[in-house]
Amino acid sequence: MDDPIAELLSKIAAQDRAAFRAIYSSASSKLMGVLLRILGNRAEAEDALQEVFTRVWLRASRYDADKGRGMTWLIALARNHAIDRLRARRETQADGDDAINAVIDTAPRAETRLIAVGEAKRINQCFETLETEKAAALRGAYLAGLSYIDLAARFDVPLNTMRTWLRRSLLKLKECMEQ
Amino acid sequence: MTSTPTDLPELSDDEALAAEYVLGTLDLAERSAAEARLRLDHNFADLVNDWQNRLADLNEDYPEVVAPNLLPQIEARLFPQAAKSRGWFAWAAGLATAALIAVAVFELSPPSLPTTTMTAELTAEASPLRYEAAIAGDQLTLTRTAGAQAEAGKDYELWIIEGDNPPVSLGVLTEASVTIPAPQAAEGFVLAITLEPAGGGPDGKPTGPIVAAGPLKKI
Repeated sequence: MDDPIAELLSKIAAQDRAAFRAIYSSASSKLMGVLLRILGNRAEAEDALQEVFTRVWLRASRYDADKGRGMTWLIALARNHAIDRLRARRETQADGDDAINAVIDTAPRAETRLIAVGEAKRINQCFETLETEKAAALRGAYLAGLSYIDLAARFDVPLNTMRTWLRRSLLKLKECMEQ
Repeated sequence: MTSTPTDLPELSDDEALAAEYVLGTLDLAERSAAEARLRLDHNFADLVNDWQNRLADLNEDYPEVVAPNLLPQIEARLFPQAAKSRGWFAWAAGLATAALIAVAVFELSPPSLPTTTMTAELTAEASPLRYEAAIAGDQLTLTRTAGAQAEAGKDYELWIIEGDNPPVSLGVLTEASVTIPAPQAAEGFVLAITLEPAGGGPDGKPTGPIVAAGPLKKI
């Protein structure tokens, strides 16, 4: 499978510093986009980017090309770090406004864009089988890092209702994608 | 199974947790617990991986935003010997013999996982509880190896104590194994667990009995 990021990761796992510089060139813009979207703050996103690439070097040996694409692994690393930061920040500030506003910005942009290959079309088709509100909640959670608390406030439903909504939506999505 | 309602199938608990972890909706304590489990439980790690792949197409929606070149800072963190004042290019050109030696040493050293630098065994007389703590890199992992969770309406709370200073809370232990950011600590600092009202000591101070404690020791 053609996956240049995966190839770089396997070289980095073998301590190849040139590969590390190459992966920064290839992936830093995408990861910056992820961090900025979730953290909403340029300075913090840059700080997080340093941390994420530090982890790329330290954890590259854990990447398994049989289990997914290199870019998927990198984005998961970046999202997890950004969401951890967001939760830690939120629990000290108890301030969900940014995130609640951020959901407004989670319109299904991919659907209106030209999508190169089948895979992305498939998840978007599956999103169409969900009710609009639930699809928006799922996207908001994934893209902007909204918690159940944020989502419950945004959609004005009790937290447990939101949890049930999303769990059922995730199940529907899984079933749709397995068809 | 006629009495079981079948109209609303549900994800299994593990699968729901994996999906919610990937989706990102969990709170900090739930996320930390899920991350600790990821390391220990391969089946759970596979579920997380499947959801990561399933939702990966949403990544299309993240825009690309040109990042400044932060490589010098990142490399200075990762490769302190080579970075110094000469920078990467001097190193790469092989101009600094010292740097080359440093690299040779670096390449001989074992790969990447942060190594455990300090451990502690937490026990107490007349208490069946036993925890083991390990600090590796920037993380502290605490695992209950004997005894049960706190009784209903109570929580175990973890503290770190330096000398005669007041204990500093590291949080409430909601799971048998947790991984948290490592505190600033040195050999001889004491980790202690107390039994507190649910949610932890009300004023950020311990109020209940110590159920396990032990000093950090360097490996």
